[in-house]
Amino acid sequence: MSLSGLFHIGRSGLLSSQSALTIVNNNIANVNTPGYSRQEIILELSSPVRSGGMLVGTGVTVAGIRRHYDRFIQTQILGQNQNQGRSLSLDKAYGEIEQVFNEAQNLGMSKSMSDFFNAWQEIATNPEGQPQRTLLLQKASSLVRNAQSVEQGMTDTLKHMNEEIGSITAQINDLASQLAKLNDAIIRAEAGQQSATAIDLRDQRDVVLNDLGNLVDMTSYENSDGSVTVSIGMQNLVSGVNTNPFEKRLQSDGAYDFYQNGINVTGNISKGQLGGFISAQQDITANPLTDFRKFIASVVKEVNLLHQSGFGIDGSTGNDFFNGLQITTRDSSAGADVTSASITNLSQVTLDEYYITFDAGSNYTVTNAQSGATVTSGAYVSGNPISFDGIDMTINGAVTANDSFFVSPLTEAVRNFGVSVTDYRQIAAASSAAGVPGDGSNANAIGQLTEAGISDLGDSFNNFYRTIVAYTGSAAATASDGLTFENNLSSTLNSRRDAVSGVNLDEEAINLVKFQRSYEAGARLIRVADELMQTILQL
Amino acid sequence: MRIGSLAIYEQLKRAVQEDINEISEKNTMLFTGKKINKPSDDPVGAVRAIDYRVSIQQSEQYKSNMMGAGIFMSVADKAFTASADVLDKLINLADKGVNGDTSENRNQFSLEAAGYRDVLHSMANTKFGGRHIFSGFKTDQQAFTFNAATNTYDYNGDLGLINVQIDKGMTIAQNVPGSNVFSFGLGASMSSVLSDGTTVSYTAALNPVNGVNTITIEIGNAGDPNHDTFSVSNVMDVANTISYAWKFQEVDGNALDASAAISKEKGLHRMDALSALADTARTKILGTQSEVGGRGVVLNDQIARTDQNILNWENARAKTEDADINQVFVELKQAEVALEALRSSSANVLSRSLFDYLK
Repeated sequence: MSLSGLFHIGRSGLLSSQSALTIVNNNIANVNTPGYSRQEIILELSSPVRSGGMLVGTGVTVAGIRRHYDRFIQTQILGQNQNQGRSLSLDKAYGEIEQVFNEAQNLGMSKSMSDFFNAWQEIATNPEGQPQRTLLLQKASSLVRNAQSVEQGMTDTLKHMNEEIGSITAQINDLASQLAKLNDAIIRAEAGQQSATAIDLRDQRDVVLNDLGNLVDMTSYENSDGSVTVSIGMQNLVSGVNTNPFEKRLQSDGAYDFYQNGINVTGNISKGQLGGFISAQQDITANPLTDFRKFIASVVKEVNLLHQSGFGIDGSTGNDFFNGLQITTRDSSAGADVTSASITNLSQVTLDEYYITFDAGSNYTVTNAQSGATVTSGAYVSGNPISFDGIDMTINGAVTANDSFFVSPLTEAVRNFGVSVTDYRQIAAASSAAGVPGDGSNANAIGQLTEAGISDLGDSFNNFYRTIVAYTGSAAATASDGLTFENNLSSTLNSRRDAVSGVNLDEEAINLVKFQRSYEAGARLIRVADELMQTILQL
Repeated sequence: MRIGSLAIYEQLKRAVQEDINEISEKNTMLFTGKKINKPSDDPVGAVRAIDYRVSIQQSEQYKSNMMGAGIFMSVADKAFTASADVLDKLINLADKGVNGDTSENRNQFSLEAAGYRDVLHSMANTKFGGRHIFSGFKTDQQAFTFNAATNTYDYNGDLGLINVQIDKGMTIAQNVPGSNVFSFGLGASMSSVLSDGTTVSYTAALNPVNGVNTITIEIGNAGDPNHDTFSVSNVMDVANTISYAWKFQEVDGNALDASAAISKEKGLHRMDALSALADTARTKILGTQSEVGGRGVVLNDQIARTDQNILNWENARAKTEDADINQVFVELKQAEVALEALRSSSANVLSRSLFDYLK
């Protein structure tokens, strides 16, 4: 080997140490970068040369950079992010809802209900007393305000969720285009390479994938060119360098449906923050909100039925105490419209919701929306009323198969909730006859409603309301416990990922010293070679 | 296991956050005095607490109903006592006539009886809190008014019982309809003889609508010169008839007979016959008083029971949702100590780096 070979070896040591120091520096710089995978230089012997019948080493070369990365853990983290996202949304939604039913300060609905029915008892003991009657009207107004504020609280929460859903949808599309760009960059960087060399880009892409997984229920797989394909509900959101827009469409019931490539994928989204919000919206609408509306509708129905049968001190009778229940309908028909819908017999109203559906032969079927049971059926005649459970509905126009109408006495029950009686003399405390101001028996009967079993609710008012509070409380507790569990699990997985991919500054400090020393040694080697060369030249 | 530097920071952050959360929760408990501050803190306890509070509010309403009914009944009780006393005096006054006391003080006795009649009328029309307490449901009307056409007292009330709720499914009537106390509880008919041996029969006719018993009194036999028939339907009628009987007059002021002697005899007979009836009325009033007194005893017992229930529920509510302040305080201190320890150990961990030694 020639003397100049020493320079070559020294140079290879210097360059490889420099490269190693760059990587160490990069690790140190990214110690706090989320998703960053620790990198390590791979050094190997330079090809030896034959000298004097021997193979002599020629120094060191950088064979590559190793990314400390565990694909299995990353897959687990991606799945876990989806679960954590769902739990996050559920915790937010139910945490907000349970505040609506917070009775801890004794200012909630149960106090208003007690006050209202106690005010009837006050009247029963002093039926002709104006102060007692005025008090009842005040307590009734307070009950109305409280009920409307509870419903407002729930509808506000649903609205907040819709706002969050809007923002999540935008974020999903934004992340999708980031993924497409990263896919493009990775494909270009790794073109013609045997292994995944675009390690920083891949780390960035993992972070974006994790963020996307936290937002929505999705699946992803890596293609041979290094790009990933991401699907929501079996429909591609990102494919190579292309993205397809993820869309939300508002439904007539106020909730959103979600479309990927024009296909409704709402039913496929159960995880991620979006899945959590969809699930919470559906549950809150179907359970506490509908139950609460049913509860108020039931108060209206039972109080009005008794009040109508009683007599005020002005001799009036047949009056509603609260504003009467209204029927609301939702139309899913192109050719037919509802022209009227009203309650004809309050005592027969069961406070259920219904679907009226039509078949190809223009026959209608009324089914209970909650139980699915058929209520009635018959041949449809345009303009003829369809009567069921104390409700009359008139539909006009041509119906076609699968047309449907949603009928509910509950939707507007709380919004229309109000005290109909304005004159205290009209309060029907008497049940026997007109002109008996001392008769408080009807007031007594209304006061006792609070203890009575209400057939539409299958329980007493108090117990039914307690069930709603217990439901929201349990849901909030479950959501909160769920979030704690998912957070712990995420933390464990992140620790496991960090064990492989995390940067440890002490390790890097050692490496720094190690490569600094090897750089110094390389430099010394060049000095020695230089001195040797000087010696030769001075001969 | 390898530990990344970021993992150390993240773990410390989480641990500090958890400790601060714990301290915040305990602080909320100390601030509100409750361990259940939202339903999810303890869903079962939260609804149980609602149940207790509703029961307490309900029972307080029952108690208020009972207090109101108790006052209502005590007012009635005073009216009964006064009415029974007056009837006693009326019986004595009538007995003076029965004993043949026909002095020139008859006018005075007549006035005295009229005074008793007015006291009875006033008692029967007792008003409390603007309500006529003996008019049944028709509390806006006087229970009894004088009818100038018939010279009798008419009952204007009905048989309405004002029931008040005193417990779940338990009611009690706070009133007594006037017709059930100031009218008579005579059976269908009753016969007797007066002190001079003249026969007298009392025939009752009940008006089922308002509960008024009209008693027709027949003295002597038809065809006798001193045969007399008249009717009364309440204690005011009795006192009124006695008042006029002292003057040997019908209640319309006409003489009982064209003959002064027969008028006198009829007047004395009337007093004799009505004395017995007044006694029956007095017994009826005292019986009613005792029945209302019985209701008062039930009320007092029920109030005591309700008080006990309220106390029990209040205790149960407190146990369910109120925080044990001492325990919370201890737990708060524990959480603070844990946070301090964590801060101190974090300071140690975070300040140790190999870079510090490579100088």
